[in-house]
Amino acid sequence: MAVVPVKIEKDGKWVVSKIDLQQESMTIAEPIGKAITYKSVVDLEEKKNLLIITVKGDPPLIYRIASVEKVLQAMKRVIIMACSAYRLMAYFMSPAVRGGVMVTNATWEKGAIAVLKTSIWFVSQNKQVSVPLNEVTGMELTKREVQGKQVDVVKIDHLENTDVVTSFILCPISTLQILMNFLKDATKDLETSGEELDPLSAQVGMLIYSGMDSHAIENMLNISHKNLDEIYEKLLKIGLIEVVFVRKEVQLTPRGVRFITEAVKPPSP
Amino acid sequence: MGRILIVDDTLFMRTLLKNILFSGGHTIVGEAGDGDEAIAKYQELKPDLVTMDVVMPKVNGIEALKGIKTFDPNAKVVMCTAVGQEQMVKLAIKTGAKGYIVKPFQAPKVLEEIKNVLGS
Repeated sequence: MAVVPVKIEKDGKWVVSKIDLQQESMTIAEPIGKAITYKSVVDLEEKKNLLIITVKGDPPLIYRIASVEKVLQAMKRVIIMACSAYRLMAYFMSPAVRGGVMVTNATWEKGAIAVLKTSIWFVSQNKQVSVPLNEVTGMELTKREVQGKQVDVVKIDHLENTDVVTSFILCPISTLQILMNFLKDATKDLETSGEELDPLSAQVGMLIYSGMDSHAIENMLNISHKNLDEIYEKLLKIGLIEVVFVRKEVQLTPRGVRFITEAVKPPSP
Repeated sequence: MGRILIVDDTLFMRTLLKNILFSGGHTIVGEAGDGDEAIAKYQELKPDLVTMDVVMPKVNGIEALKGIKTFDPNAKVVMCTAVGQEQMVKLAIKTGAKGYIVKPFQAPKVLEEIKNVLGS
């Protein structure tokens, strides 16, 4: 099909090589010298200009491949369409909502959905969207109006950098149910059922979601630093939040008071 | 930057929106807790933009939007509702809403949407 230039990580160093993309397999040229059938690929991750390909084996073989966007796009398309994954043809819309704001130019794209070990892929002729499973924040089978009709869709909420994004998948209901079960199983570690929050903790959660910092949350809810810390502890314990940094609250030492007092004195004539 | 009227039946959501919009340099000219109050406050304050909750007791957001549009066909109203009620988008847009925000929302995206609508 095509021979593309790449860099591949080998023994911790990046080496220049080429990959021959064929119908059912790809051959990595020297110094790797390896043929990989797409069917043996069990996972595909994307990180900036990097593809991480996991090939079935004991232990599994991992290839880190860097190249220009156009080459990676071609590789992603052939691998996703032929690798070992739960895959179905469907329409998808991604993103449909970003940070709570409807994406006005969002359209349904015809393509394939593939659920791999660590991510879900939406692939169409023009678009390839990867959603890491550990960044899926919610999913449900719901209804959405398409061309004047209420149809069943799977709604997936996920993170994209720091944005919370909603995507939709549309296909026959029987397939959607299978997809939902597959996704539920793949993301079972993220399930939050059974955890109940008191109203104040839920409000704190909502404010964190909206991007408020601790100081703004204390002011908005009129609660003390100590109260907020207690709520944070509760949320930390059940894994709903993580510590980004620890803020310092300080007061001046006697030396500091003296320094500031001196500093604000008008200069002597 | 705009003069904004916030309409929501919960104090918490009004306070949250107020904080977000204020941090974006906007002026909050008023608040309303239901659709009737929203129409009255719009006529009184003539804001540049309204953020309007859809689900409210008595007169809901869609009815309030109709009332505001009857008074001022050029009114800029951004609808605001919970996840799962996205079907309301079409109805709201048909009624004349200029934008739509789904709760929960993220501050930077809300400010971006408000800026877009104010500039439209």
